[in-house]
Amino acid sequence: MRKKCSCKLLKLLGKLLGKVALIGLIGFVLTFALYITNGENKLIYYVIRPWLNKHYDSQVRDRKV
Amino acid sequence: MKLTDKLLAPIDKALERFDPLWQAENGKGGLRSRYYDKTGVAKWREWRGVKDTLYDYTAWLNNILSMVQMVASAPLPILKGFWEYRWMGSYLGTFMFIDRLFEGYRGTELRIAHMNMHAIVQSLTKKIAFGLKNDARLGGGKDTYNIIPHDETITPLFLKGFKGLYPFPLQTLPEFIICDIDQHIEPYYIDVAESYGLPADVCSRCAAETGVAIDDAFPLVGKVMLSTNMPCNASEATSMFQRRRIGKPDFPITLAMQHNNPEALPYSRQTLKDAMAFVEEHYGVKYDWNEFFKYARLMNEQNTIELEKWDLFKTPYSPLSGVAESLYRLYEWQSVNGQEPYFNKVDRKVIEIMRRAYEQKYRPFSGKTRHRAFLWGPSAVYYTDFPTWVQNCWGITIVLNMDSTMGYNMIDTEDPKKAMDDLTRFTEKACMRHHAVGGWDNINALWDWARNFNCDMILFNDNIACKGMLGTHALMEEQARDLGFHFIFVEHDLQDSRTVSRQDMRNCVNNYMSVVLNEKPLDPTIVEFDDSQAY
Repeated sequence: MRKKCSCKLLKLLGKLLGKVALIGLIGFVLTFALYITNGENKLIYYVIRPWLNKHYDSQVRDRKV
Repeated sequence: MKLTDKLLAPIDKALERFDPLWQAENGKGGLRSRYYDKTGVAKWREWRGVKDTLYDYTAWLNNILSMVQMVASAPLPILKGFWEYRWMGSYLGTFMFIDRLFEGYRGTELRIAHMNMHAIVQSLTKKIAFGLKNDARLGGGKDTYNIIPHDETITPLFLKGFKGLYPFPLQTLPEFIICDIDQHIEPYYIDVAESYGLPADVCSRCAAETGVAIDDAFPLVGKVMLSTNMPCNASEATSMFQRRRIGKPDFPITLAMQHNNPEALPYSRQTLKDAMAFVEEHYGVKYDWNEFFKYARLMNEQNTIELEKWDLFKTPYSPLSGVAESLYRLYEWQSVNGQEPYFNKVDRKVIEIMRRAYEQKYRPFSGKTRHRAFLWGPSAVYYTDFPTWVQNCWGITIVLNMDSTMGYNMIDTEDPKKAMDDLTRFTEKACMRHHAVGGWDNINALWDWARNFNCDMILFNDNIACKGMLGTHALMEEQARDLGFHFIFVEHDLQDSRTVSRQDMRNCVNNYMSVVLNEKPLDPTIVEFDDSQAY
């Protein structure tokens, strides 16, 4: 009974570790791909900043001193 | 050779053609080859060999984590901040900025550089979150009126004697740090100030600060404002504009200009005491010397380690140099100023690495250094990543920058009377006052600094709008000739990259190195290139 229990526990632990390793691997592949392709900087430079700048340019500021 | 190095060697060999340093050495390209023209956007990140690329990747992840923590700590104020303030958008350029700064860095240099840079990133992200969370313009927070906003050139250390209050350098976030990250942000604020009538020939830093004030882009925090005459009279003027716009009671901390004279000490000391009394009056908090001493000890440790670093800088075996040294010291001294123990931890780690490197006679940058230069340079050297560029292009190692030489005297941590004197001397030796506009002796000290650090070259930034320093131009040239230094004036307009472009600045060095010294560049792809649209 006890043997069965510890065997189950080990299996569960193995599965859990396997899943953690898989998530870690996928996470590494995705983030490393983003890093090496300079993806976030391209997105910021070509998409986000131009969009934000449009917004900033449309702001009405009261500049009376 | 370690086992991992042995295992990785064949992979590194197979992929070396992607390494820009190898490309430059073998005439197959170089550091500029992986960029889109003009933009400063890289097609892919720099391949530095397996180990160093993975290290750079983990440092990148670590910085992303700090930014995620920033947003998580105050999601709504951060979003509002992005929506309200143009300068917040510029912080998105941080990753590109860090990539540029550490181009060509490998091994120990890369590790130290990232340790220092991460210290800045984690500190800045916390400051941004704290500032926006308590910005009355965005709704305010529980500490809005526990903050003491002060001019960024005032050292915040002396304000740490007010328990429960938080010194906040007002211009650091919207103007000072961000101009290093994005060359296009300050011209906008300069235009705002000039369209209001400010003449176009004033110092661009002061013009930009004035523009930020008129554009209502300073976070609104605190009950009062501590302004200053540091570093110069242009700063005094911008303080006045800011006072009128922000409309809070202010106390101008006017420290002695000619501060080397011992007779100036009582005057400056009294000014600091009056500033303390002003804060006590408006916030109803008594100054606590024991509280101050806690932070003074941290500052003393920062400076003790810094002085040991200086001894190592004098040798050819220092893996810490260039922008990794100067930007870190500038931020650590002027902005952290003993307030954040994280920086002491980093200092302890870095000095250990530097000691080991010295014992092993480690030659940084693969021993490619041809000249050791003392840099006399402000903000314009950061948005242009100038120290990194001179290293990669011409093999000029920036041993120390003028900003690194600010107040290094120790502060008494037991007797308030002695501490007050030390604190005054320390505060007087802040950004720019210590080495530029604090009298001729301070400027003339340049030669001693360069000689003491075994430099054969001086890169002297020539801010074309700095009225004070313009008068010294010919004098410096004459002395350089007499003393036998290679002396290069690097013209710039501080925060306005439209007047003198990055390439114009680089050409000052290019011309001297090729015409006067007849030297060949280490990497021909970065001698002349267009990065006018880069952040």
